[in-house]
Amino acid sequence: MFAYIVRRLGIIVVTLFGSSFILYNLAALSGDPLEGLRTSQDPNVKQQIIALTRQLQLDLPPPIRYFYWLKGILGGLVGDINFGMTRTGQPVIDQIALAVPTTLRLVSAATVLAIVFGISIGIITALRQYSRFDYAMTFVSFLLFSLPIFWVAVLLKEYLAIQFNDFLGEPTITPQWIFFASVFSGIFWAAIISGSRARVFAIFGIAGTSTAALLSYLSATKWFANPGFGPIVLFGLAVGIAFGVTYISTGLGNSAALKSALAMAVITLILYYPNQWLFGVSNKKLVYLLMIIALFVVSGLVPMLFSKIDRGPIIRTSILSAFLMGFLTVVDKLMQTWKPYMETDAVYFRPVPTIGQVNPLLEPGNFWINFLDILVHLFLPTTALLLISFAGYVRFSRGTLLEVLSQDYIRTARAKGLTERTVIMRHAFRNTMIPLTTIMVVDVMSVIGGAIITERIFGWIGMGTLFNQAIGSFDLNLLMGVFLLTGFLGVSANLVADLLYSTLDPRVRSGAGKK
Amino acid sequence: MKLNRLMRAALAVVAAAGLAIGVIAPAHSAAKTTVSIVQSNALTGLNPSVSAFNLTFNVDVATLSGMGFTYYNNKPELIDNTAYGSYKIVSKKPFKVSYTVRSGQVWSDGTPMNAVDLLLSHVTANDSYSEIAGLGDPSDARTKPAFDSGGYGGIYAENVVGQPILSANKMTVTVEYASQVPDWKLLAPGPSPVHALMLMAEGEDMLQSVAKSNAARERFLKAFTTYNTATLKKIGKVWSTSYNINTVDESTNPLLLVGNGPFMVKTAVPNGAVTMVRNPKYTSGPKVKALKTVVFKVIGDGTAAAQALKNGEIDIYAGQPTGDAVNQLKAMAPAVKIIGGDQAVYEHVDIRTGTAFGTTDTYNGVFAGNSQKALDLRTAVLLAWPREEIMEKIVRPINSSAQLMNSLMYFNAEPGYKDLIAKSGVNKFTEGTQASRNAKALALVKKYYPEATATNPVVKIKLLFGQPSNVRRVAEAALAKASVAQAGFDMDVAPTSGWSSFLESAKYDLSFFAWVKSALLQRGNVGTYQEQNYQGYSNPEIEKIYTELNGKLLTAAEIADRFLKVETILMRDAISLPIFQHPSVTGVTAKLMGVAPSPLSPNLVWNVWDWYFTA
Repeated sequence: MFAYIVRRLGIIVVTLFGSSFILYNLAALSGDPLEGLRTSQDPNVKQQIIALTRQLQLDLPPPIRYFYWLKGILGGLVGDINFGMTRTGQPVIDQIALAVPTTLRLVSAATVLAIVFGISIGIITALRQYSRFDYAMTFVSFLLFSLPIFWVAVLLKEYLAIQFNDFLGEPTITPQWIFFASVFSGIFWAAIISGSRARVFAIFGIAGTSTAALLSYLSATKWFANPGFGPIVLFGLAVGIAFGVTYISTGLGNSAALKSALAMAVITLILYYPNQWLFGVSNKKLVYLLMIIALFVVSGLVPMLFSKIDRGPIIRTSILSAFLMGFLTVVDKLMQTWKPYMETDAVYFRPVPTIGQVNPLLEPGNFWINFLDILVHLFLPTTALLLISFAGYVRFSRGTLLEVLSQDYIRTARAKGLTERTVIMRHAFRNTMIPLTTIMVVDVMSVIGGAIITERIFGWIGMGTLFNQAIGSFDLNLLMGVFLLTGFLGVSANLVADLLYSTLDPRVRSGAGKK
Repeated sequence: MKLNRLMRAALAVVAAAGLAIGVIAPAHSAAKTTVSIVQSNALTGLNPSVSAFNLTFNVDVATLSGMGFTYYNNKPELIDNTAYGSYKIVSKKPFKVSYTVRSGQVWSDGTPMNAVDLLLSHVTANDSYSEIAGLGDPSDARTKPAFDSGGYGGIYAENVVGQPILSANKMTVTVEYASQVPDWKLLAPGPSPVHALMLMAEGEDMLQSVAKSNAARERFLKAFTTYNTATLKKIGKVWSTSYNINTVDESTNPLLLVGNGPFMVKTAVPNGAVTMVRNPKYTSGPKVKALKTVVFKVIGDGTAAAQALKNGEIDIYAGQPTGDAVNQLKAMAPAVKIIGGDQAVYEHVDIRTGTAFGTTDTYNGVFAGNSQKALDLRTAVLLAWPREEIMEKIVRPINSSAQLMNSLMYFNAEPGYKDLIAKSGVNKFTEGTQASRNAKALALVKKYYPEATATNPVVKIKLLFGQPSNVRRVAEAALAKASVAQAGFDMDVAPTSGWSSFLESAKYDLSFFAWVKSALLQRGNVGTYQEQNYQGYSNPEIEKIYTELNGKLLTAAEIADRFLKVETILMRDAISLPIFQHPSVTGVTAKLMGVAPSPLSPNLVWNVWDWYFTA
């Protein structure tokens, strides 16, 4: 195994060296960095050409320049790495150091959400194979799969930012919209839950009516201008979470688990007002850290009251429920921040932005307002990336799960008399995750490379923008800096994925051992 | 009963008043005082005079934070900024100009300004000072000078004599020039907060008292006059590197932010927005009417910028002028108004007549030389160049009022343009319709290639227009190809992987070119037919006139006369034809008044002091 890793690392080095040499020379030959100066009528244009030639070493042929660059990189071996300067006179390493966190912020939420939603929907479609829901999701995922991001982004900006902001000026929903939303919701839920024809119609009716009622209520109370759950709704949602988590985690038959999850819901309700007070205190970092610790301690200890045996799954259920309920409490706090956020001079009643990472005019100091500001700036790019990337996960997890479900050991598990929940969650789902994990690793590593188009459209300067900029201005040092990082991550992601696969799947590992 | 009626009336009045207030007075009725402007690339530094830092965003920020003796308006004309100071010719022979700083002004840190502030620009623009003071030779191909300035090697360096002389009260410097150079007004030294530079060179990172700042300036003056290499090098390091920051926050050395402009940088997010606020001590230029804050936001993509304008995130859009962008902006009316205009850049087609200056790649193509055949073929291709069609299909969709350019020397809006084109001989390229011109061209071609017809183009020529990504040039090339085919030319319009790297290549018979004008110089629009000549064209008469235009101050009538001579020769020899001035498009939110973009740098923000929002 060790020899294998060393060999793979050796290949990585050779690959990077070769490809960087080729890329450097191709990029150098692709254009003329002096182009702008050749059309300039500045009286001292000659001097400017001298200065740029000096800065970019244009008097040397590209292959020689490459080795000067390589010398700087190899300086890393003796602790003095030098990525060189960009064409605009900034250290390349600084630019990359600035761009990586930007890119991570842009793509991480979208990637995580795509994985979570994609896999869950994939699993549901697999379990409901050839149902209306399955067909609908297949259609939707292929549709999203084929959409170009720049177009999605333009549409999202138009409808979710510009028009939504206009709507917030007078947040009442027109009857047509309520009608369409209700019909859509009815179809959606009827397709998901499915069943006999009568049942489908019943579900359609119930879902449609309740959506219409909810939207009318929200519209009448101008909820969108001043949203929030309030303790009662929050408690209702918490109870829902308690049942849901228990169902997936242990099954509703485990009454101790259900009781402790419900206890969490009650605690959420009791702590509602104390939490509001705590959210407002100064010295936030310490208080918030203590709140998080308290959440885990309480949710870990409470199940002890309900059961003396087999506590593991119960504690798991309780912690998971408490975490989601805590999350809802935070969401509620953010909703309460919505109105004051809109009322700041910087936001001026147009809260959803189309570009940038933060509102530069917003005064720092108010944790919740600034946090909400970051979230609203993330909203559109994350949605856009999520929409186009989750389709892949849906299709992949559906296919994998279907394949796993047809395996002999699943039939064996069913024959043993295990509940369907146990068969799916414990036997099928875990095995589905193995191939998915390797895909996720490669995906996560490659997102560092940046989303060139997404970054550009949303005005974020991340790795993709740097790459684009480097190519556009023949900025070789910058180009190579970006390439080296993304190339390294790319090839090592493959290595990590391979290693991970053999760790996760004992069959692969033992196969390798026999060789 | 009576009371009841009174009550009702009172209630009605109160209700009506309440309703009226509710309807008339929106939540924010006061006019905005913050303007948000889009930039396509991020800020890289606060000193655009450093050689690699002369970028639009840096220049805009520096413009708002610093004022000098002159600035360009949107005509464009050079305006004297008397609020900062004045300059006058004190002697014609030798040619001496004195520059006087108006007294009573202070830098944003409270230090009074004087003429010592002007001396640094001598250091950063005069190659010989750099060498004498041991700061390095700016034209050295390997080592940077101590002041890594982009200003060396210009008209100032070529003409200044000796060192500037400071007056006894230190409010005036007098500079001697070798002769009265035509563009002497552009040579006015720019002020720098030398006290702040000196303090930073000495390691300070806080604003100092006025007394200490004044003392620091005296130390700079001493180092300047005594050529103190060590001290100047330290200052040079600060000047060349310390300002190259893209982050400004409370930890930024406040000495770096000292300026004399209407605004000063408050915060700069790396690769993000830059916020500038009013400089309360500003008196060095026109009074700021209304704005309190200027925010620059970075959006690289034109569509994104237009949508941001629609969403109210920016107030001014000045992006890539494309037809799509214009349509997008037009769709936003009346909330957005479009200001069309011209850039100081003009498109023309250049024909190669010989081997490019300074190369050995010999050109022997159909247009080479001064023979009658070459001249006739050049004339033919220019006659067949579909300039009107290019205007109609490519330029007017962006700027509907754009006019065809007919002079290489003047922009259409300049006063001498009409007279010049009446006499320059350009009319042979404008007479008739494109069809009749094509027929004339074909007749000229037939003299040498009798087999040529409109359907059998036989004269093979090759056009250089650049990368396929340059959409406008691709479209122009396609129109031109179709039109010159009517005159018997078979033009190869294959794209290249670059444009400028092929300018000197003898493979290309003609190319698109666009001169970028950065200053109002006496010599006019054409760069020169000497150094930057890629066409291989040379004419002793033109060279003589250019030497004169570059070397001697002329009256307006004399200039017009010289321009006409040059233009007449260029038209006679049929070596290039102008087509259009590059259009510019600015989208401004309807409530913002006073925006009047200038074709010259700093295009948009030159008159930021005049901008205001209506309520």
